[in-house]
Formats: sequence, C-alpha cells, structure tokens
Amino acid sequence: MPEAPDILLDTPACAPGNMPQDLLLEAPGGTPDLRHSRAQRLADRWAHLVFLACGLLVVALIGGILYFLAARGVGAFLPLAGNTDKVLTLREVFLSADWDPNAGRFGILPFIAGSLSVTGLALLIAAPTGILTGVFIAKLAPAWMKTLMRQVMDLLVGIPSVVYGIFGLMVVLPWVSGKWLSDSPAAGFAVSAAILSVMIVPTIVSLATDAFESLPLSLDEGSQALGSTRWQAIWHVLIPAARPRLLTATVLGLGRAIGEAMAIQMVIGNNPQWIALMRQSTDQTPMLRFLFTPAATLTTELVQELPNTAAGSTWNNVLFAMGLLLYLMTMLIILATRRLGQRRNA
Amino acid sequence: MAAALPFRPRRLSRLTNRIMHLALWGLALIFVLVLALFIGSILKQGWSVLNFGFLSRMPETLDAGGGIKPEIFNSLYLVALSLAIALPIGLGAGIYMAEYAGQGRALRFLRLCIETLAATPSIVLALFGMIVFVQMMGWSFSIRSGAVTLALLNIPVITRVTEMSLMAVPRELKEASYGLGATKLQTILKVALPHAATGILTGLVLTAGRAFGESAILVFTAGTNTSQTFPDFRLTVPGETLSVHLWYVTSDGTLPDAREIAAGTAAVMIVVLLALNLSVRVLDRFIRRKTR
Repeated sequence: MPEAPDILLDTPACAPGNMPQDLLLEAPGGTPDLRHSRAQRLADRWAHLVFLACGLLVVALIGGILYFLAARGVGAFLPLAGNTDKVLTLREVFLSADWDPNAGRFGILPFIAGSLSVTGLALLIAAPTGILTGVFIAKLAPAWMKTLMRQVMDLLVGIPSVVYGIFGLMVVLPWVSGKWLSDSPAAGFAVSAAILSVMIVPTIVSLATDAFESLPLSLDEGSQALGSTRWQAIWHVLIPAARPRLLTATVLGLGRAIGEAMAIQMVIGNNPQWIALMRQSTDQTPMLRFLFTPAATLTTELVQELPNTAAGSTWNNVLFAMGLLLYLMTMLIILATRRLGQRRNA
Repeated sequence: MAAALPFRPRRLSRLTNRIMHLALWGLALIFVLVLALFIGSILKQGWSVLNFGFLSRMPETLDAGGGIKPEIFNSLYLVALSLAIALPIGLGAGIYMAEYAGQGRALRFLRLCIETLAATPSIVLALFGMIVFVQMMGWSFSIRSGAVTLALLNIPVITRVTEMSLMAVPRELKEASYGLGATKLQTILKVALPHAATGILTGLVLTAGRAFGESAILVFTAGTNTSQTFPDFRLTVPGETLSVHLWYVTSDGTLPDAREIAAGTAAVMIVVLLALNLSVRVLDRFIRRKTR
C-alpha cells in the first residue's frame, strides 16, 4: 500500500527541516496542495457512515427486542392479529398465583415471587462476601494472593451455567439431602441461591475491587494517622466512601442473577404450584419449607414450557409476556446503575 | 500523669482487627476452595467416561453408549460463525464510539444501549431469536438461527473491548499519524487498530468462551438434535452444541446413561474452557511484554 504517509515515514528526507521544502517544490503554483485525494476523502466519509451504522444497529437491536417481545407478550391481553386464543386481563395474570394453563388460568405471581426469592437469597450471600472479598483483594492481600484471586474469579465467571447446573445436580443436591434432610429431595431455593451466588460473586468482586482501588489513598492515610486499625479504616472510612459504587456492583449482580436460566432450571425442581405446596406441607418449620420446596422462576418456567406451547396460543403469549417482564427489569436495572453512577460523579 | 498519650488502639479494636483480617483471608480461601472443589469434582465425575470412543461416536437417542462427536463440531462451528457475524458489527460500533462519537449525548445513549444489550438475559435473546429467525424468517431450528442469535450475545462484549482497547492507544500516536497527513480512516486502520489488536484479540477469546458455554439461546434457536452426517457444514440443519447436549440429556431423561454422558460432556467443556483461559493468560503476558 504505497500511500503518502508510509513513504514519508521511511525516507530520511522527512526530517523536520526538509519536509516543507520538498512539498513546496512539488507544487508548481506556489501554494502546495495539501488536501487528501478525492478517493481518500470519499473513503473517509463512507467509513464514518459504516461505523455509525454499526452503532445504530445496536440501538435498533434494543428497540427490536422490545418490539417483538411486546408484540407477542401484549397479545395475551389484547385481541391482536396474531392472537388466536382468548384474551386475559392484566389482573388475572400479574396478580394471581393460580397457574394452571390447561384450565385456562395464567397467574404468574409464583414465578415473579420465585425469581425475586432466589435472586434475593443469592444477593444476601453474594453481596457481603463479594464486597468483603473486594476489600481483601484491593487493600489487604499480598501481590501473589491478588493474582490468584483474580484468576479464581476469571475462572468462576467463565464457567458455563449448564456446568454449574450439572454440578448442583450431581454434587450439591445429593450432598445436601443426605447431610441435612435425611435423604428427602433438596431441590428448591436454598441450593439454587447458593449456586447462583457463586455465579454472580465474580461480578460483584471485580467491581468492588475497582471501587476500593480507585479511592484516594489519603482516606487510608488519614484514618491511619488518626490511629485507627486496618479494619476500622475499612469499616468506618473505605466502605462508606465506596458505597455508591458498591451499590452499583450489587445491582449489576442482581441483573445477572435475575436473568440466569439454565443453572437454576436444573436444580430448583420446576414446580409452578410451589406456593400451594409450601402452604400444604406442615412437616417442617416454615423457613425450611420455603428453602427446600421445589419451585419455579420466570426464567426456569420459560425454559421448561416454551418448547411445549404452540405459537399464538394464550399460554405461549403469557410466556412471552414473562420474557418481556424480564427484559423490562433488565432495562430498569441498567437505568438504576446509571442513576447511581451519576450521583457518584456529582 | 502519663508522660505520653497512649497512641495505641484499644485492645478490643486490635482484637477485631485481627479477627477480621483472618476472616477475610478465610473468605478468600473459601472461594479458591470452591473453585478447586468444583473443577475437581466435575473432572472426577467425567474422567471415567472420557475416552476416545466417547469423543468420536455419534450420540444415541434411546440407548446407552452414545458419544458427542457432532456436538463438539457444532460447538466450534457455531462459535466461529457467531464470532464471524459479531466481529465486524462489534468492531464497527466500538470504533464509532471510541473515535467518532465525541463526548456528547449520542455517545451516552449508545453506551446505554450497549450496556443494556450486554445485560439482557440470554433467555430474552433466545425469545427474540425464536420469534424473528426461527419463526418469522422461517429458518426453524438451525445452525443459522443459532449463529445469528448467538452473535447478539457477542456484539456488546466485542464493542466494549474494541472501544476500551482503542481508548488505550496513546494520543501521540494518532496525532503523529494526522501530522503526517493521514486521513482519519487511515489513522484508524493503520495506527490505532494494529496497536489495539492484541487487546481486542484477548476480548475475542473471552467472547468465544462465553459463546461456547451458552445454552439458553441455542436450545431455542439451534435445537436439541444434530444432523446424522458428519461433519455437516450446512447452515439449515439443527445443531445441538455441547452445552445444550449436557442440559438436554439430563432434563430429557430418556437415556439410560444420561448421567455419565452429562458428566463426560461437562468435563470436556471444563477442559476446553481451561485451555481458553490459559491462552488468554498467555496473550495477556505477551501484550504486557510488548507494551513495556
């Protein structure tokens, strides 16, 4: 590619003193023509448009996903063109816990409650441990331990969710039921949340580590000069100072947790009627019943039932409405992290 | 009267400090332990199944003794295809954000969209792919539906990596290029991108790992069975990957040896991912040495 800049780079004539003269000599009219050739200018402009188009494609994707999910999901509530089946009210879908598609009852409250429960439990484990591990990596660990922890977190985040699922199915479930439940099945929120927390902890740890590492060193030095111990500095100064970013980290962890499907589907037991089952059984304390009742979430129900339903049926439309709900939650979560980020900058 | 003030933390504070120090070390070591236990037990469960026959046989649908040969092929094929689709788009969007978008409202909106796409649950992408490619385009459950939908998962990651790698190119380099009379396009293609290439490559390997492990998207777009011929490069046949196979045999439950097959498949996946991780590390070290 013999273009001007490359040649100039290689020739010794481009020493600062010589260059203007050379250029001047080449231009007969006295003023040198320093403009790029027409082809180059055209290429430049077109490239700009192509790159812009790639960016716009991403924007279009966001809108496209919303449009197509909504077109199907809203079909459950409105007599749209694609809807061949009966129409439901918002109330009997979002405010009812009665899920019996064959009888025409489509209350998705159990799945919303399931998603929130398993996500909440997972965050309850992952947020404190993730933040504390972040402090450890950023402030206490020696260099070799830092590298080791980074690698551990990289590996944990890279493990596919089905492998987490199979680990839960083959190792954790049998172990928990044998050890604590006298061999009754252990599928349910507890094991799902435990596995989910390991899956989201790397996200929280890496963001928390960044948060603590970006704090000004003067905070550390100041509190030590006032005579605090290392832990007092962390607890009373560093964690409060990093709080907005720690919150962002937790919210992003929440986002990852609420969308996770396969790993949970393999260990949660997939029982849409879990609320009723939990009410009926009386053989354990309420807390244990809650933790070890086979349950279902928005994502697991989608994985479980979507392949069995016909496109256009009410059942199918309600499942798409659940997908739409998940997508809207994601958007909400991203906007929330935005808001948190802005407060940090202010 | 004491001659000097006691500039020492109280006993209790010192004790808490000591305890929390130990607790944090313990916490970190627990994570190391969890990972070791995890990888160890997956490999241990799968070890007895892993042999050449398992890797080179076709899968069975009802009998024991099936292999995972086409699944390995499909996994690699789908990852390659989806990267091939996502790379130009991701690169383009990343270049736009780093070099053209400036610092205004447009960039912020674009970044918001990239973040949203990156955070979108893969099951939602799967629904989108199912509506648009499987049903509307009439591609049904096929490699092409899977590859295009999987590309949606890769695009935001590649975009972000490209943007960050380009941002890290020293300003002086670009200015020197402009100073020599290069156009913006020439500067990007011949100065900025080569300088950022290794960083982008690292990101690509990580993206490949993510796509390799993805299952939710492919269950609903690439299907849960494979072509009977091998290797089948056609884009219109269903293409079950390793991760989908692993999920399907355990949840379907028609195979008598589903457990062994799942364990073996999981072990294969872990080995592949460890290899990918190692290659990222080597790449990373290479970059560091080059930039120092």
